[in-house]
Amino acid sequence: MKLPRSAWVRGCATTVALALLVCTGAMAARPSPPFDIDPYPSTYQPLPRTDTLIAGVTILDGTGKRIENGDVLIREGRIVAVGQGLAGNGATVIEGKGRWLTPGIVDVHSHNGTYSVPLTSLDLKASDVAETSDPNVADTWVEHAVNPQDPAFSAALRAGVTTLQVLPGSTPLFAGRSVILKPVPAADVPAMKFPGARQALKMSCGENAKSNWGEKGEAPNSRQGEIAIVREAFQRAQDYRDEWQQYSKGKSKKPPPRDLKLDTLAAVLDGDIAVHMHCYRASDMAAMLGVAQEFGFHITAFHHAVEAYKIPVLLKRAGTCIAVWSDWWGFKMELQDAIRENAAMFDAAGGCVMMHSDSPVVGQRLTIEAAKAAAAGRRAGLSMPPEHIIRWVTSTPARALGLGDRIGTIAAGFNADIVIWSGDPFSIYSKADQVFVDGALAYDRAAPARSPRSDFELGRPEAGEQP
Amino acid sequence: MNQPARLLRASHTSVPVTALCAALLLVAAAVHAETVAIVHAKAWTLTTDTALDDATIVVTDGRIAAVAAATAPPAGARIVDAGGRPVTPGLMHAATQIGLIEVNSATETIDHTAKPGAPGAGFDVQYAINANSMLIQLARADGLTRAVSYPGGSGVPPFNGTGVLLRLVEHGEIMERARIGVFATIGNRSAAASFGSRAAQWQMLRTALDTAKAAVAPPHKPVATQPTAAPAVAPPAPIVAPAQSADAVALDLVVTGKVPLAISTNRESDMRQAAKLACDYGIRVVVIGGAEAWLAADELAAAKVAVVLDPMANLPYSFDELGARLDNAALLRKAGVVIAMSLGGVQSYNAGLSLREGAGLAVANGLPYVEGLRSIISAPAQIWGVAERQGTIAPGKDGDLVIWDGDPLEPASLATAVFIQGKEVSLATHQSRLRDRYLPQIERARSVASP
Repeated sequence: MKLPRSAWVRGCATTVALALLVCTGAMAARPSPPFDIDPYPSTYQPLPRTDTLIAGVTILDGTGKRIENGDVLIREGRIVAVGQGLAGNGATVIEGKGRWLTPGIVDVHSHNGTYSVPLTSLDLKASDVAETSDPNVADTWVEHAVNPQDPAFSAALRAGVTTLQVLPGSTPLFAGRSVILKPVPAADVPAMKFPGARQALKMSCGENAKSNWGEKGEAPNSRQGEIAIVREAFQRAQDYRDEWQQYSKGKSKKPPPRDLKLDTLAAVLDGDIAVHMHCYRASDMAAMLGVAQEFGFHITAFHHAVEAYKIPVLLKRAGTCIAVWSDWWGFKMELQDAIRENAAMFDAAGGCVMMHSDSPVVGQRLTIEAAKAAAAGRRAGLSMPPEHIIRWVTSTPARALGLGDRIGTIAAGFNADIVIWSGDPFSIYSKADQVFVDGALAYDRAAPARSPRSDFELGRPEAGEQP
Repeated sequence: MNQPARLLRASHTSVPVTALCAALLLVAAAVHAETVAIVHAKAWTLTTDTALDDATIVVTDGRIAAVAAATAPPAGARIVDAGGRPVTPGLMHAATQIGLIEVNSATETIDHTAKPGAPGAGFDVQYAINANSMLIQLARADGLTRAVSYPGGSGVPPFNGTGVLLRLVEHGEIMERARIGVFATIGNRSAAASFGSRAAQWQMLRTALDTAKAAVAPPHKPVATQPTAAPAVAPPAPIVAPAQSADAVALDLVVTGKVPLAISTNRESDMRQAAKLACDYGIRVVVIGGAEAWLAADELAAAKVAVVLDPMANLPYSFDELGARLDNAALLRKAGVVIAMSLGGVQSYNAGLSLREGAGLAVANGLPYVEGLRSIISAPAQIWGVAERQGTIAPGKDGDLVIWDGDPLEPASLATAVFIQGKEVSLATHQSRLRDRYLPQIERARSVASP
């Protein structure tokens, strides 16, 4: 979301001061295209917080640095200092002796709130994971479906997740716009929305779309049919964008009729909405990179990307990241060549790697995903120390979400999204002891009574793990 | 020799067919005569609660001959130095579908579920086991040496059919014992899909057991008996009276106490029904799933109902699992329930690795460490009646052993050597060959610039 544009539109309509400032150019009367305006902005407010000094922890800063016996000072929701022997100056002190500290975990691929548990026969008939009435539902916004009372959100928070991107499901080729959320207690979605975070378009390639529509005798029923639909849509988006530009430059009298699908695709062409694309096979990824080059857009990340290890050069040249599991394989034809070394090999090639969940179960153990992927790399002779692989679940996904300067790193100036782990976060025995979101202690394992629970869970059989 | 030639030979031989079959079984039964000694092992024998340091484990003729601390290996033995690393018995999966699954979305590669018209309790997956499955190759390389593979659905709900015991030898027959147990599913969507109510499912189950009981009128009918000490190879399918249907044979095994009835079910009420069923019929019952089993832990323990649980289940995935929690394993074990692990979704594709990750997570949530190991090694053997062969490092037990490069319950640890019947098996898989094919280009790609 680029703030200036929406401010321009609102400013011209309502604010005299802004109108004077902004609406005086040659395009004075002409609003900018509405491609990436967010009419439903974040209303998120940080939880109550105190200034905190976390002392004597092993810090993995999220960018490759490891600090033993380190301190982190948090003031007003931000990290203000990282080092050793810091003075708290009145801040609440947490002694971290023997514990580890990392940035909050960022899950770049979640379906929480739409694949909302408990799953019932109603979800089987019509699920909120994606609108599947058409292969192009680029006009859908998944935030309109998210249920904040999905118990998976609080489970993710208790596991150290502080930011997650909810993506629409991968049945449609253009599956709609994502939303970036904080897994904090809320009654509506805007109250969870990461302020100012840009949306992404979820796209997909391969088996899913052609199987779904092919079975019904509709298009697409082949991979080439999928690509044809994608190219046609982007061709129309280019035309739509051109018409808007003509109008904005005063070369035409009227803007084109508003098309919500084309809004999304035009924003992709402008680079204002990132593309996160579900693809498994190397050949599918290569085909989509070709389409992206043809129409001039950038694919931020291939998700699942189980054959990325086969095409590291192509992906690196495109500047495209991968978001992967450690060891899921085999259950579809396009997963036959998935290998556990995928993440480590692509990383060793200099590629940009993220671990993703796609599942509320895996989403509670993304560091273990990284540990397993790193272990496979070790067997292949690739060194993957903790301070390196923590990037896969912190700073790298933060960058992919366009938030790399705000979260995912333990450094002065960053949001205080922080996890204190009972031990090495890559050990199965370690747990998130305390989780801070914007400097507020959102979860404390030592205070189970204050443990976040969804409304759904209240009064039901006692669930959740004992602290 | 190509396949038609072999068939031709067989059809023209004067040797009786039954003798040929016996000869085939003998081929499969041949075990390694080599003696292997694993030295300097941190041996988790599981005969005690602690590891035996600097252990020497001797395997002769496929069986463990000796295990002791700091002893010299026998002369002539092949020496394998574990270098102080952990050694455990081979892992055993208590409830998987390996051998019956290849590519989930390609339905013709799936053999675990039958349609209406097929047998019910007697739907027998022994006839479909595929030893060449990529899932089995990977599981073996991950240290899995035995598994119970079970049917997912039969022609007569609520029964799924009968499962098999697999021993994941590298070459030859992997089906070690057919009809290891009868499987059923109760509750949630299965109820809606079959009779519309779980009450009807329990009733159908009870009626079937009543019928089977009535058929076991004294004098005892000569039905198939399962050997208590399994031979090293698959026994021939039991010979039964022609009038007895496959379903009747299967249920007879249950009501005569020869094999367990394994019920996939999760809700607390169903846990109590399962315990009651075990008591009412005097049968062995195993629960698979058991998300809310901790709420009926004492009842399950009293009825000696074992639980094969998913240690990652802590979300209310369905209305049957509202009470799911990560310390289910710890609470059940504390109450005296025998527990094993099976992780939803990855129970087959990562049959070996997922067990260790799950057991590690259960330990992280209160299960004693050695009980975590037992839940994936000896408890499955206990549940399925093969404890005399599998599950501990002790003289006479099968020479199925794994050397790990670290704590076996850390998913980041790897199996560095796997022995089955005292023979070191290949760790090469489809995946490892892909890795080796593409690894060289990784170095070359490093110098390519990104925008």
